[in-house]
Amino acid sequence: MNLIFGIFLLTLMLITGIAVVRTKNLFVATTLMGIFSLLLAANFFLLDAADVALTEAAVGAGISTVLFLSALSLTAEQEKPCFGGRLLALSVVVITTLALLHATLDSPQLGDINAPVHQHVAPWYIDKTPQVIDVPNIVTAVLASFRGYDTLGEVFVVFTAGIGVMFLLSHYPRKKPHKPHEGLRHYLIQRLVGRTVIPFILLFGFYVQFHGDFGPGGGFQAGALVAAAIILFALLEGTDQAIHIIPSWFLNGMVAGGALLYSAVGVAGMLMGGNFLDYSVLASDPVAGQHLGILLIELGVGITVTGVLLSIFLAFASRKHF
Amino acid sequence: MYIAVALALVVTMGLALIRALLGPTVYDRVLAVNMMGTKTVLLLSVITFAIGRPDFLDLALAYALINFIGVLAVLEFFRKRSELDPENNTKEAE
Repeated sequence: MNLIFGIFLLTLMLITGIAVVRTKNLFVATTLMGIFSLLLAANFFLLDAADVALTEAAVGAGISTVLFLSALSLTAEQEKPCFGGRLLALSVVVITTLALLHATLDSPQLGDINAPVHQHVAPWYIDKTPQVIDVPNIVTAVLASFRGYDTLGEVFVVFTAGIGVMFLLSHYPRKKPHKPHEGLRHYLIQRLVGRTVIPFILLFGFYVQFHGDFGPGGGFQAGALVAAAIILFALLEGTDQAIHIIPSWFLNGMVAGGALLYSAVGVAGMLMGGNFLDYSVLASDPVAGQHLGILLIELGVGITVTGVLLSIFLAFASRKHF
Repeated sequence: MYIAVALALVVTMGLALIRALLGPTVYDRVLAVNMMGTKTVLLLSVITFAIGRPDFLDLALAYALINFIGVLAVLEFFRKRSELDPENNTKEAE
């Protein structure tokens, strides 16, 4: 049954994807990308990948639309006509598609119990997680502890991406105050609904942050949710108000501080006689040490992700039209 | 039972997608995206009960909370655009 739903949703995704490429109007492309993201999250969910689906939900539903639209408000609405090079592009796409299709012939069927991953990798994690880390969500155990190095790398990728965007877009605050950005302050319904929703998004974000060991979620998802709540505030009350509440030095501190907190947990493990990012030595009981380590590094991830997403949004929003 | 509901929702999503693709006005598309979001929330909720893992309802909750932001961003986008270019604000995107 799941298979039929999956195929149907994938077909819808394919149609949406082609439409995004075909359309010349960038606003239409943005709205279609929103639909694409929704379909993708539903698909992840059907594949039982709740953590990934939650990430896609948190980033795709709110933040990427907002970022696309703020980028779009700095440029023209119609795509520039492009001549030439089409045959080359088509041939590259066709060759890549054929190569990928060929590769899928060798890969095991979905849910095949004889697939290599089900032979030794997954059973090991399923076997070891209750003993070593003892959290119900094995995805969190793998992400935060067994593969803590990879996640540290991801956090630094996010950090670097944030720095890159800030280099390109950030501005110095003008001496003379320009006309303040008022946002949607004069729209009563939106403002009332938005102000009611913000605390719940924040609460849900913190729940996802600290409940990540037990259910779907963790630092990445929580960071995106908290950032979404503040972006909603900025949309409603104007970006100037948002910058006033979260000044840029604080944001920069968040961007760097989260990554630093993560690394510091790793170094603390070394100082206490373990390996880098080995949380077992952080407390007298190894399992309690693992719990403490996961809590701290997830917090670091959440802080960096929130900081980077907000910096990118504010960098776009506080720029004037060219 | 759940499967019947899920099927109905998937069909509705298909119809919403058709409206989003055909347009023709911006409002059609925005409404279609919004409807798609609502249907996704419902579909995810139905699936969680169909596969017997109601703890995954978190995901539907995330969507329910966040969908609103996209619509507000669209509103803000057109408000900003009409400020910059007053004649152009009713122009319909094709």
